[in-house]
Parts: sequence; C-alpha cells; structure tokens
Amino acid sequence: MKGTDARKCLFYHKNPYEAEKTADLFLQAVRENLLFHMEHCPTYADILKARHFSPDDLKTEAGLWKIPVLPTLYFKRNRLFSMPEDQLSVSATSSGTQGAQSVVGFDANSMRLGVAMMTRFLSYHKLISKIPTNYLILGYEPSEHTQTGAVKTAHGITRFAPALHREYALKDTGSGYEPNPEGVKKALFRYAKSGFPVRLVGFPSYLWRLVGELEKRGISIKLHRDSKVLLGGGWKQFSGKQIESEKLFETVEKTLGIARQNCFEFFSAVEHPLPYLKCKNGHFHETIYSRVIVRDVKTLEPVPDGQIGLLSFITPLVGSMPLLSVVTDDLAAVYPEKTSDCEISTRFFDLKGRAGVGGIKTCTVEASELLKGENL
Amino acid sequence: MNLIGGQLMDDKQARAALGHINEMILNTLSGEPLTAGRVIAACDSLSKKIGSGAYLPLLLARGIFPEKAEKELAEAAHMLSKEYLEKRLEIEFDDSFGEIAIFEGGKVRQMWKPLGTLFHIAAGNMDALPAFSVIEGLLTGNINILKLPGGDDGLSVEILRELIKFEPLIADYVFVFNIPSEDIEAMRAMAGVADAVIVWGGDAAVSAVRKLAAPDTRIIEWGHKISFAYVSGEPSDAELEGIAENICETDQLLCSSCQGIFIDTEDYNEVTRFAGRFFEILQRRSAEMPLPDDPYRTAQKTLELYTEELESASIQKRVYRGDACNRSACGVIASPDSALRSSYQFRNCWVKPLPENRILAELLSYKNHLQTVALLCEPEDRGRLEAIFAKTGIVHITDGKNMSKEYPGLPHDGEFSLRRYMKRLSVKS
Repeated sequence: MKGTDARKCLFYHKNPYEAEKTADLFLQAVRENLLFHMEHCPTYADILKARHFSPDDLKTEAGLWKIPVLPTLYFKRNRLFSMPEDQLSVSATSSGTQGAQSVVGFDANSMRLGVAMMTRFLSYHKLISKIPTNYLILGYEPSEHTQTGAVKTAHGITRFAPALHREYALKDTGSGYEPNPEGVKKALFRYAKSGFPVRLVGFPSYLWRLVGELEKRGISIKLHRDSKVLLGGGWKQFSGKQIESEKLFETVEKTLGIARQNCFEFFSAVEHPLPYLKCKNGHFHETIYSRVIVRDVKTLEPVPDGQIGLLSFITPLVGSMPLLSVVTDDLAAVYPEKTSDCEISTRFFDLKGRAGVGGIKTCTVEASELLKGENL
Repeated sequence: MNLIGGQLMDDKQARAALGHINEMILNTLSGEPLTAGRVIAACDSLSKKIGSGAYLPLLLARGIFPEKAEKELAEAAHMLSKEYLEKRLEIEFDDSFGEIAIFEGGKVRQMWKPLGTLFHIAAGNMDALPAFSVIEGLLTGNINILKLPGGDDGLSVEILRELIKFEPLIADYVFVFNIPSEDIEAMRAMAGVADAVIVWGGDAAVSAVRKLAAPDTRIIEWGHKISFAYVSGEPSDAELEGIAENICETDQLLCSSCQGIFIDTEDYNEVTRFAGRFFEILQRRSAEMPLPDDPYRTAQKTLELYTEELESASIQKRVYRGDACNRSACGVIASPDSALRSSYQFRNCWVKPLPENRILAELLSYKNHLQTVALLCEPEDRGRLEAIFAKTGIVHITDGKNMSKEYPGLPHDGEFSLRRYMKRLSVKS
C-alpha cells in the first residue's frame, strides 16, 4: 500500500494532538486503509462479510467502532497479511508473557510512516536530542534468536539520541540470555562520571529491581541532569504485584539523581505499534494517529466515557496487515477532551488491569501439556 | 501462616523449626501412635460442627455465593463424617485395615502400617485441598509435612487447627510450612526427612518434584487430568442437563470437570446440531446458577469466544455464545476435528466428532492425563463402549451429573490413595 495523501499527511502532521484539525484526514485515511485490506487480505474480507460490515457504513467518526475489531488473541493464533510476507521488512512478536506470540510484519512504507510519526511525537515531547547519550537497556539485548517486540522498541528508541554506549540488563549468550548485574553496575558508575546524559529504557519491573537493589545497598549516584527514564509495558512482569509508579520514580530520583519530570511512561502494543505518553496527571492521551474506544466486556460495543471496558484502537498506520481496528487484553476507561488539566487537550485513557481470571485454581491439564502428548 | 506442633508460627520461627525437624519427627515416632479411630473421631466432630452452620459466615466472608458455600460445606461435612471415613477404609483396604492376617500356618503375620512421614506439596487447585491431603495422611497414621501452595488463603491451616482442638495428639503429626517452592534448600530439607513426597499439580510441578526427591524417597503423584463427555445415540434433555450442571457447578476447574463433548459420529452436521441443542441447555442452567460479576473474567471469555467466532469466518467451526444479558458469557464451540483439549473454562465447552471406531486411536496418546468420561449412550451399547474406554487412560466412567461427585471408596485417579500412604508389613515370629 503506497502512502496515499491522507495517510501520509496524517502521519507527517507536526502536532500529534491537533485532533480537530486532522479529523477529516483521519477518517479518509481509515477508509482507504479499510478498502486496501479488504482487497488484499481475503480472510479479512471474509471477516467483514461474516460480521455484515460494509465500507459504506463508515460515514462519520462516530461510526468507527463498527469496523470489526480484531483481538490480540486473534493475531496470536492466526497470520493475517495484506502483502506477501517475504516483502515485509520487519517481523516482530509480542513479549509473550502468556505463551502464544503474535506474528506481525511491516512493509517499508508503513515503517517510514511509523518513524515519521515517532519522530514528530518524540519531538513534541522534547525527547529527541543531539547530545551523545549512554543507554542502559532494562531488558534484552537484540540478537539473531529473539524477535520480541519489546526488544526492538527498546533498541529503536536509542536512535532518538545518538548512542555512545548501550549496556543491557539481559545479555545475549548466543543461545539465550543471562542477567548482567555486574555489567549494569559498572556501566552506571562509568556513565555517572562520563559527563554525558544517560537514558534508562525498558520495563518498569526491571527498573524497580535495579533501583531497589541500589537503595538497599545505600548507593546513590548522580547521573547527568539531562538523563531520562523511558518506561513501557509490563508493570507486573516479575514482581507479581503492581508497583506504584510514583514510588518508583521517587526511588529513581534518590538513587540515580534523575528528576521526576525526566521520567516518562509509554504505552504501546505489538498489534498497535503507536506511542502514548503518560501526562503529568497520569493519563495516556489520544493522538491524531488513532482513536481510542473502550468497549463493553460482553458486547464489545462502546461504553460511555468513564466506564471500564476493553481498550481498543483504530489506526490506519499499517498497510501490511489489517491492524486497523484492534482490541487489547487491557481494561481501561476513557475520558473526554479537556478534562485532564494538563497541556494536552485530547481525550485520554487510564489503564485498569488486564482481562483474565486472577488466582485461578484448576487441576485440569493445561493445553500446552496436552499438545506435547499429541500424536503428530 | 505456619503450623508446627499445634502452634501458629511466623516464617522466621518456622524456618528455625525446620532446622530441627528431624528431632521433632523422632519425638513423634517415639511417642504415642495416632490411630485411625482417634482421627476419625476428630473429623466427625469437625463434620458435625460444619453441619451446624458454624463455618458458613467464614465462607461468605470470602466472597463465595451462599448457595455454593452451603453446597461445599455440606460436601465437606459429608466427607469428614465417621460413616464416610469408615466406609472409605473398609473399601480401600478391602476390609483388611487394622486386621492382622495370618499365613504360613500361623508363623507369618501381615498388617498395614503407615509409611512414616509424608511430605505433601499441595497445589492451590481446590479450596482446602491441602488440609484434605493431610487428613488422608493422618487417617493412615503418618506424620505429615505440608508445604502450602503459593497464595494460600489460610483455610487449610484453620481446618487443621480445628482438628487439633478435637484431638490434641494430631498436633505432633502435622507440620505446615508456608515456604515458596523456589526455596530449593528448604524443599530438599522437607523431602529429605519424608518417606514419600505427595505432589499435587501440573506436569511442571511433577517434573520438579521428580528432580527434587532422592531415589530413596517414594513419589506419589496426583497430577492434573482432563475429563469429557461422550455421547452416542439420542440422549434425553435430563442427561444433557447433568453435563451442563457439572460444567456450571465446577466452572470446569476440576480434573473431573467436563471440558467438552465428543459425539459418536462422522457427520459434522450432527455435531453442530448437537452443539446448538446443548448450548440452549447450558445457557439455561448457567443463568440459574450465576457466576459472581467480574469484568476481568468476562472480558477474557468474551475475547476468547469472539476470536473463535472471527476464526469461523475462514476455519470450519461454529460458535454458540451467550447473549449480553447472560453475564456468565457461556458458550459452545463446534469443530470438525477430534483433538482432546481443555476448554476455556467458566462454562465454555467444545463439541467434536469422535466415532466409536476412532476412540482408541484418538485417546491412547493422552495416557495418564485422562480421568473421567461421562458416557451417554443406549443401554445396549454401554458395555461395548465401556470396554473401549477401559483400554485408554480413563479411570472413571459415569454420567454427566456425577462426574465430579465423590462417594466413599471412589478411587482417586484410578488408585486407592490411602493404600498408597501405607506399607504392607510382613512379620515372621
């Protein structure tokens, strides 16, 4: 899919929060994206047909929710492409904390639009810097044998300030990963002396472990004052319980000397690779690149603002696969524009946990165990 | 919470106690033996107290629905009653429990004796299961070390404390530790003093214990199992109600819960026809026994069924799913393959074809993972189908309603568990 005018104009638009100005553009790009996928992805066309949806139904923004929404679970179990897979330049998978992983692939044009969008987004938030920077990646080192989305995102973000050095909390051993606490510690002390800013990038739970350890040992260092913390994904990763972000950032300031206003929290998903940044009031704001729809947990129809439901998105970013309308496993509530009392006036959402059965007690054989016993 | 010698202890005290568990076991062994009679008397007192409704507020406070709480308590009271436990001993030991058998012209005596010390590694797959595992150990006169499952709610310790109040000697026979399985050193220490390790849990837990226990320690595995229904011919609505009842009562969380239904046919149309019929029954039954409202569970079930529905646009399967006013979000998925799978649970089941002549070929590979089949068929076919299922790993053939119902003497996963906790001692005078 070539970057048509509407799609290109939208993702190249300078201010990521000018929703009213770009509303027509957005709707136009969605329509084009929908038609493209219908034409090039027979399975997607079948789905639209089975759910009695026709592009003619898409007349206003209020009708966007009617585009059949695809759950992340669908992408974990099915490959769905609108272009030949061998023409796709990147293929990533979700961090896959629950076993199955999504296969997603992006064409060169979607990637270009994505980079343009990301550049404008980060530039708006003054996160692009020309000053050489040392990185501490609180996650996996990129390697031949892993394709998780989180790894690529963490690596990608090191391009927005020139990298002097990258140290990884989990080092590639060639066939797997091992924790690298010594390397991390040494790097931190070296970075502190180097006179350049540091960026800590990765999962909150990993950062929590790091600063917790520093605090326990009474270590307090002072990183360059332009240093930043950029977090995304998995707050529960291995702590098993929600870490309070304010408590985390307090400890970061205490142990690393990075001020609260230099700590940023992102939201994104492999099946919806767009950035959302938490504002000073703790809300993720909608951008011009997408629309947030919170859906009823039973009917998947939109719920009124403020009510809890499944978090879903509409975006025309991707041409290689129909990621136009996807629903995540996250529960959230969305609130109207101009109610956050921060510098951004767009609608925003708050995360409210993940779909699932907490503390499930079962003695039924798990699916994976049965597969092992299967006659192939 | 830890419970040692009848005393509640914090984790620090419990770890200190673990340091000299050898001496404590020696003390117990040198002291007064615990007879089945005394254990049964204590259990019976507890059963009566449960029957009086004394514990109902406790369960209600845990957020369990009154109807379900009453049912669970009635079941617990029944299983702890003197009549039930005595019947169990009678059946499981074939009337030989506590008897001395004489052989070789009076020169040889044989009798059942406790294995000694049992180390129970309990999974959190059922409320109070850890306590019930220990009670089986007590009934057979064993000393019991219990490692509580992660996230234990304290119910098991409360039950064991009540038993100790009724029979103080039990205190010497129970050591409950709230130590995580990741603490390999502590796990080895507990396994090291045990004659047998009893492990409840999935394949991962069982494999871990096989690695943990030394060759001189017996391993008794109560692994996870899968159960289903098999329908041949035209079952009545009442028979199908039975399956639906099992699905709703257990929410498909037990090893004996129905995960799906195989139909004795090659014809996929028959499968979808049956699925539609069963969905109506399941939906009705589910509405009569509503689940507590939980948006997180509902969201997950909705996404799973909705994904199945999307897939049915290109893959041959058909999804029957509850309407919006049915908060249970129950569903039935008909597919043309015959693979045995767990369901999405919480009132979602699959329906698949499995003609009689393919039962063996399909089920043999699941070996020890199989447990219960609800067999619904014409009386004249019953014997033949039972014989086929008997050749697979299946250990329990019953109807839908009784899949997860206990009766005294029901073998556990095909074995008499109490027997496994004892040894047959032969003495020549």
